[in-house]
Amino acid sequence: MDNVTISKKDFLDFVEKKIQEGDSKVIGVVGKGSSYVFDRLESSSRLCLDYDVTILPPKKYFQPPREVLLRFITKKADSYITENANEPLTIIGIHYYDLAAISLMDRAFSEGNRDENYLKKRENSLLIGMYPTQAFKYRFAGSVVKGVQPYKAADLMLADMGDGNYTVEIVTEKGRAYLSSAVQKPFTYSLEELENAKKRIKDDQKIPVPIEMSPDFLVKNHGHPVWEVFGEKCYSCGSCVLVCPTCYCFDVLDEVDLDLKNGKRIRVWDGCMLENFATCAGGHNFRKTKAARFRHRIFRKGVNLPLKYNYYGCVGCGRCAHACTSSIAGPVKVLTYIQDNQ
Amino acid sequence: MAINTGVNETGSSSLFLPEVATLIDKREMTDVDSFFTFKLKNRPLGHRYGQFVELSIPGIGEAPFSISSPPTDDHTFEMVIRKVGQVTAAIHSLSPGDVVGIRGPFGTSFPMEDLKGSSLLFVTGGIGLVPARSAILYALNNRGAYKDITILFGCRDPGQRLFTDELAAWSTREDITFMETVDKCEDGTWDGHVGVITTLFPNLKAIDPTDTYAIIVGPPVMYKFVIMSLHDMEISDKRIIVSLERNMKCGVGKCGHCQINNLYVCQDGPVFYYDDIKLLKEAI
Ligand SMILES: Cc1cc2nc3c(=O)[nH]c(=O)nc-3n(C[C@H](O)[C@H](O)[C@H](O)COP(=O)(O)OP(=O)(O)OC[C@H]3O[C@@H](n4cnc5c(N)ncnc54)[C@H](O)[C@@H]3O)c2cc1C
Ligand code: SF4
Ligand code: SF4
Ligand code: FES
Repeated sequence: MDNVTISKKDFLDFVEKKIQEGDSKVIGVVGKGSSYVFDRLESSSRLCLDYDVTILPPKKYFQPPREVLLRFITKKADSYITENANEPLTIIGIHYYDLAAISLMDRAFSEGNRDENYLKKRENSLLIGMYPTQAFKYRFAGSVVKGVQPYKAADLMLADMGDGNYTVEIVTEKGRAYLSSAVQKPFTYSLEELENAKKRIKDDQKIPVPIEMSPDFLVKNHGHPVWEVFGEKCYSCGSCVLVCPTCYCFDVLDEVDLDLKNGKRIRVWDGCMLENFATCAGGHNFRKTKAARFRHRIFRKGVNLPLKYNYYGCVGCGRCAHACTSSIAGPVKVLTYIQDNQ
Repeated sequence: MAINTGVNETGSSSLFLPEVATLIDKREMTDVDSFFTFKLKNRPLGHRYGQFVELSIPGIGEAPFSISSPPTDDHTFEMVIRKVGQVTAAIHSLSPGDVVGIRGPFGTSFPMEDLKGSSLLFVTGGIGLVPARSAILYALNNRGAYKDITILFGCRDPGQRLFTDELAAWSTREDITFMETVDKCEDGTWDGHVGVITTLFPNLKAIDPTDTYAIIVGPPVMYKFVIMSLHDMEISDKRIIVSLERNMKCGVGKCGHCQINNLYVCQDGPVFYYDDIKLLKEAI
């Protein structure tokens, strides 16, 4: 992996040039009220890379909240045609933990059956990641995202050197080609300085159970009172799964157009915390209680995904803890409670 | 916005693109269950015993259904569908000649080859007979390949009995044991056994637990009690085979609806050896 240095001003000019060239839609982090969101950039002046966390992770660009899979003529089963809407995208400023989540989604949508609706969107994207420059009080990513996982999704990575320069790590050849028209300077920092820049922001929180151990720890505590105690306070509102970068469950349904003649099969975001997620016809709900759903969500992150894909299913972004009106959703709080009540 | 559209014959461009199948035959079985024969347009379905397909009607939706017939050479396959909601009601309103969308077959199947040389005990409840029937018919068509064959079927009341012609034929066969029960009968139309399915077990002739495989398919409440009875008969968990139902939205291991721990019932199941799932707390 090569490193180059680009001044912040040159980087913004470069982004502006890319926006004007119009080869791909440029997405970046922008301010919205007192929060931040990923949104389309019409001008580089809106880009705000100095942010704590975005309300939603960038998964919405690859698995849209509502996505057309098929179009058809109503009741004519020989009329189905596939649809896969996608266009070249560049997304700028994705924090490393959100990249780790995308690498998990890449795995989930490509392993076994390849989901081209997701994968085509990913192939058509270029991701510019970065290390956080602001603290977020619920974040604990540093203690769960280890190793190269973010780099499996990134094409370029930015580290703010604190002196008006970014170091850009060139992760893929695609990233190198994209960056070729930027004004670059040689990388003159030491590797230690680069590491320090990446780790400049210390998380306020830490996962209490070393992540390598968490599947065993959770399985052992399958019957722990925590599920009842926390489940009791849950409103089954689904906010925690909606904002989570590693949640990708969906529902599939048909929509008929106003003309009643044409229609589409769509997939929409769904979540295991919603009451009827596991209800079958006949009314049997395989996760009837809030406690069972609460446990399922945490087990999916801490046990099921690690067993299936060898990646931890939580990247420590802290969004769920922030979003939950009941202040129960955060994995740190759950694991701490279990540990304190053995 | 660039939109890639296209119909792909093999379905490989999209996991969600159905193929066309035509309804060949339809018969009522009970007031809520009907029997359907479909035929895929371009190829045999290529299913194995106990697998399912996603069947869809454009504008209404898609739902999973088991294939009730063993594989055949003539591209047709059979299903029994209970009318419970939107998709199933729309299927019930079809007439022969109408077309539907089919994706699949999906999932694991009853390991009928592996079970050859052993005795078989089928324990089926209600609509669970539908997937089990594909395996039962295979075993009966290859009667010589298995030792004793025992089939138990239970349903809520006599009006819910499925495949009544076949049940009658099974009950007169000398080379198999067939027993039936209904949970209740209030109108005196039933002179057979009454009680839940486990009440048939004491009437079974001695079963060699070291040489018998039990295949269980039924409503969710049935499994725990049947497995307890099988344990009483000393049938080991390695010899118990179950087919599980879950909410399914994709059939291809992505949507998360059918997940039990790290297993996806649509892909890793629906047919499991009980031994492989007994430690999964939410499985049974
Ligand atoms: C692997 C697998 C195999 C299956 N095989 C078969 C099969 O061979 N045959 C078959 O008929 N079905 C089968 N099913 C079940 C079938 O998929 C559902 O019946 C179907 O999805 C219902 O779709 P729908 O759109 O008609 O119902 P929906 O419109 O989704 O309505 C179903 C809803 O109606 C309500 N409801 C329905 N019945 C009742 C009831 N008795 N009491 C209370 N509420 C009720 C429930 O709320 C339920 O969620 C199978 C399911 C799976 C997962
Ligand atoms: S955000 Fe909180 S209250 Fe809402 S479903 Fe999640 S845990 Fe329950
Ligand atoms: S579980 Fe919570 S902290 Fe972990 S990735 Fe999801 S939203 Fe972030
Ligand atoms: S039905 Fe979607 S994952 Fe199994």
